[in-house]
Amino acid sequence: MRRFLLRQVLLLLALAFVPAIGEALYFRNRISWQSPVPDSQLVTVAKAKGWGTGALWVDARPDEQFAQEHFPGALLLNEDHFNQQLPNVLAAWSPDKKVVVYCSTKECGASRAIAERLRGEAQLKEVFVLEGGWEALQQAAKK
Amino acid sequence: MNWFWRVLDIVIGGIFIYAGVLKVVAPVRFAGDIENYHLIPWTLGVRLAFYLPWLEIFCGVALIVRRMYAGALTILLALIVVFMSANAVAKMRGLDIKCGCFGHASDNLGFVSHVALNLAILAGVVLLMRRTKTAA
Repeated sequence: MRRFLLRQVLLLLALAFVPAIGEALYFRNRISWQSPVPDSQLVTVAKAKGWGTGALWVDARPDEQFAQEHFPGALLLNEDHFNQQLPNVLAAWSPDKKVVVYCSTKECGASRAIAERLRGEAQLKEVFVLEGGWEALQQAAKK
Repeated sequence: MNWFWRVLDIVIGGIFIYAGVLKVVAPVRFAGDIENYHLIPWTLGVRLAFYLPWLEIFCGVALIVRRMYAGALTILLALIVVFMSANAVAKMRGLDIKCGCFGHASDNLGFVSHVALNLAILAGVVLLMRRTKTAA
């Protein structure tokens, strides 16, 4: 009985590999295999600030944190209210602007998720994740 | 009572097929959801993001068509236990995470709702396993 069960488990585990490999091949150029955000989609605080008015800053942190403090001119766009807040961001966006998304820290995943949705759902091209997030912005302000 | 077990097969199988399909269409997002748990490195998580949804779908289908039934139940039980443990660890570490279990569809579910949903699915899987053992 146990052998029979083990055979079924192994067969199912093996079967799932087939479409998974096909899908991975299909997405091979659209995903970063080595790090959550490819280097080409990351931007440092200094570089993003250097873009001046050519940058559209997007704050992906929760509403309360945005209300407490945020980067001057940044617009709120988080996963909790993405659909409601997106029109506001799109209204401020223009094709010549680079979008810079930040969340709390280097470890937070919200900026990556929002950047991904801006590229996928809003079809924006130049969307970057700020390295170090809000923490890095505050450290830069102290210098 | 046979109809009850068939309905339960279809409901549990359907839930896993639904969850799997939502993740299959958005693997990048699911990889990000796995990364948010901070439990495994990205290089492993991104590979799992392509594999796990298909495993869920195959096991869900196996429950509905009653082929490789016991094997599918065993895998689904393992998946749900691992997933609930990961959720608990993330909560203990104070991580504010989206679970990613149902793609965009679960974005608005709170932690308690997630736990309740997972417990209900776990209960369904355990009931089906017990029934299989009794019938054997």
